[in-house]
Amino acid sequence: MEFRQRLVATVQVIRHVMKTPGVVVAGSEVPNFMSPFGGPLPVVSLDIDIAVPVESVAALKAHLRELKGLRPSDEEPSVWVPDGSVPDLIEVNFIGRDSDVTEIGDCRVFDDPDLPMMVFGALSLLRPGEVACIEGVDVPLPRPAGLALEKLLSDRTGIKGQRDLLVALAILERFGPGDLDELISQFATLSLDLRHAVLSNATVLSLLEGLPGMPDPVRSRHHVHALLTALEAKVA
Amino acid sequence: MAGATQALLERLEERARRLRSRAALRAWEYRQRDLAHGVWYKLRRVLADAEQAFAIDESDAQQLIDVGCVVEPVGQALAAPMQIFFVEESLLSRLPSRRRVALHLNAEMLAAQRLALVPFP
Repeated sequence: MEFRQRLVATVQVIRHVMKTPGVVVAGSEVPNFMSPFGGPLPVVSLDIDIAVPVESVAALKAHLRELKGLRPSDEEPSVWVPDGSVPDLIEVNFIGRDSDVTEIGDCRVFDDPDLPMMVFGALSLLRPGEVACIEGVDVPLPRPAGLALEKLLSDRTGIKGQRDLLVALAILERFGPGDLDELISQFATLSLDLRHAVLSNATVLSLLEGLPGMPDPVRSRHHVHALLTALEAKVA
Repeated sequence: MAGATQALLERLEERARRLRSRAALRAWEYRQRDLAHGVWYKLRRVLADAEQAFAIDESDAQQLIDVGCVVEPVGQALAAPMQIFFVEESLLSRLPSRRRVALHLNAEMLAAQRLALVPFP
């Protein structure tokens, strides 16, 4: 089955989850939802990441009890996997946001008896953005600038790190008016070592080779060059 | 929803510890930026300014030096040293040995002893 259909089927299954206060889609699917959904999808991935404010976990669990087609994985209850009752779904990962965990690079465990999950300080960069309507389902998205910056701060290595940077590129390619200025403003609030990490990752992105199912980094090198130049002007 | 077991929580805590230690590594990398470790960032930064890259031979590199092109310092910090120049496209056409190389940090790029880079406009 085509990836688009699997994505739509999964969004339909989690439509009530999307109504949980404060949740946003946080991962590689965001550029897909930012695009006009009728066109080619820029990113092919195997899961949907949903960032949940820890204060909304109780409300989320109420929605999850009603959910059909996905179940918590045996290894990690915050990862919901297809249970086979609804065909062609993809995984859904829940990750935590906590207003008390705002240091980028900090990471805690939210110790819930039913839904323990990782809480990432870097998710504090996300601000609520537009709500995309995907086949009749409202999908809350973060503002593009914060998510692009969060991806550019990736400290993952290998293919996962490359994918993070290519997701950042897909978001950069879809920036609207004001998004670059917003990213620069958020960048200016980072510590010096984190600013350096963003610049360093941008140079890595500039020299990446393509990956299947991801945006072409060679074609978009000029976007990265423009970003680097703008960020360095801010540092200076 | 099944209750979280102690073993699961311990696994998650261990993962969180690993992720926090990666953040500490990033601070270390920042402190290394002006030392040997920082050369790779500087090389990538120079290459990120290039729209196109060409490997050239010694004679063409000398021609660039003769017309006043500056050798980028980061290339000299590599072992073996690499001569890296930024050149305008008009000058590039006067370098008969030029051979285009893809702008990726791969074996082909690193094997080039001399590079002529065309900057983004």
